Amino acid sequence: MNLKHLQDICATVRRDIITMIGKANSGHPGGSLSLVEILVSLYYEVMNIKPEDPQWEDRDRLVLSKGHGCPALYSVLAHRGYFEKDKLITLRKLGSILQGHPDMKKTPGIDASTGSLGQGLSVAAGMALGAKLKNKNYKIFCIIGDGEMQEGQIWEAMMASIHYKLDNLTIILDHNRLQIDGPNDAVMSLGHITERMKAFGFDVCEVDGHDIEALINTFCRPSSQGKPKFVIANTVKGKGVSFMENQVGWHGKTPNAEEVKKALIELGGEI
Amino acid sequence: MNEQKKSTRSSFAEALVEMGYKNKNIVTVAADSASRYGDFVKKFPERSFNVGIAEQTMIGVAAGLALSGKIPVVTSYANFLTFRAIEQVRVDIATSGLNVKLIGTDTGFSSAWLGFTHLALEDMAAVRAVPNIAIIDPADAAEAYKATEAIFKYEGPVYMRLRGRKEEPLLPVAEKSFEIGKGQILAEGGDVLIVACGGAVYDSLKAAEILQSKGMHATVVNMATIRPLDEELLMKLTSSIKHIVTVEHHNITGGLGSAVAEFLAENNPDVRLMRLGVKNRFGTAGSEDMLKKEFGLDSESLGSRVERFLKDY
Ligand SMILES: Cc1ncc(C[n+]2csc(CCOP(=O)(O)OP(=O)(O)O)c2C)c(N)n1
Repeated sequence: MNLKHLQDICATVRRDIITMIGKANSGHPGGSLSLVEILVSLYYEVMNIKPEDPQWEDRDRLVLSKGHGCPALYSVLAHRGYFEKDKLITLRKLGSILQGHPDMKKTPGIDASTGSLGQGLSVAAGMALGAKLKNKNYKIFCIIGDGEMQEGQIWEAMMASIHYKLDNLTIILDHNRLQIDGPNDAVMSLGHITERMKAFGFDVCEVDGHDIEALINTFCRPSSQGKPKFVIANTVKGKGVSFMENQVGWHGKTPNAEEVKKALIELGGEI
Repeated sequence: MNEQKKSTRSSFAEALVEMGYKNKNIVTVAADSASRYGDFVKKFPERSFNVGIAEQTMIGVAAGLALSGKIPVVTSYANFLTFRAIEQVRVDIATSGLNVKLIGTDTGFSSAWLGFTHLALEDMAAVRAVPNIAIIDPADAAEAYKATEAIFKYEGPVYMRLRGRKEEPLLPVAEKSFEIGKGQILAEGGDVLIVACGGAVYDSLKAAEILQSKGMHATVVNMATIRPLDEELLMKLTSSIKHIVTVEHHNITGGLGSAVAEFLAENNPDVRLMRLGVKNRFGTAGSEDMLKKEFGLDSESLGSRVERFLKDY
């Protein structure tokens, strides 16, 4: 692993996110920026994939259940070679392969369509069950939002994944502590999430969601026998852009031309 | 057409606050999108609840509040209200006719850039499949305001469709009074009857102007209530006009076109009907204007489709 290289990729992905959302004139910068290290770690160091063969049967799979973070995923997929990078600026345009939320029928590398919060984890659990049924070793990763955890279906899927001992499933919580109407704690508290998840029966790990090395180690460590892994990734919404960091208002707001410029400079881009 | 512009969403929020002062029983339940209630939450914090991102619980809690004598209002992106929570709507609210106001936002192509998960083009079909819920799709912001007042005077479950934050032109409906279950004639002509609802009314009126310039005269009806349908008006108009076109920013299955087709098939089969809307397709990301063109629902496409319909049949 070349840490410096991965960090550079993260910076590039962040610049892509800002550029794409700016060009589309809509999108979710906050919850995309918080995902960057998680996705780069997975797609560059952890997941067993063949970008030239997105449908390869033995590949590891990723379900971005918090689908609104897809600009980050699209950028990572493009840099990994699933499709041409120049497609990125077509985000949300009519006929684009890059829809407002992930669409597996349109984008190479997307393993499940999402965007309606709460649904992805059940699909991921089904995939994990499918792998076991086929005696395959591939792994399933599912990223959920902390606001998204308020959806009841998430808890149904967690129960199923524990019941079926899906130790090939890793749930990653992008724990940036914010949602649309404010902090999770103000809208609908998740309580002590680490304790809750342990009590639920998961193999729980907590990690700095922007520390690439820590993320890779956590993802690669085999889960304790028979337990799905639940990784609480502590992240910062809007990470990397000073005026977006920890700001509820940047959930689904588009930066204007001036703000795009400012953000790109902060992210080390040349203007 | 009036040059003033306003969004149906902001109009709804203004009327809601107004009604909130008049009726202390009105309460709101949000699912992490409380801004749709405008100032209501600030003005009436003790009557505002937020269950987090949990649309099914939002509906259940609203049902419980209705059973406690309150008049709950719930909102969400239309799909998350009408698909995610349809069984809660059906079992908890519709069967017992609870006085809950369901407000689905970002319908039609109004938030098209979000992609198919958010593009609400089948929401009316879902609600129409469930008995007992009135369905309203206001044509403009002024009508959304009046409709909001009307739904609180109406006892029972209502589903109202709103669009996005974009400001839209006000139509001639602004001057007309709104009544649940009544269509409004916005233009009169003897060659074709265009029945439209919601965001489709604007382009239908424009299309009628285009047709007019070519010597074809259209009656345009704003059918803001899809259920109960204004059958009387349809019967009256179709006794003389035999070419009927429905236009909606919705799938042609299950919405306005279906409602009109079902009624005419059983009551006045002696007409030609063309349903315009989205046909057996999902929505896709793009701008509202591009999407309207893509689905042939911009005023020019509507004009030529109606013209062809009149010539071919
Ligand atoms: C079923 C459903 N309800 C509501 C929404 C609208 N929505 C999009 S993002 C969001 C907040 C998500 O919060 P969180 O999961 O914490 O994501 P993050 O803060 O990481 O962006 C909401 C309510 C949705 N996409 N799907």
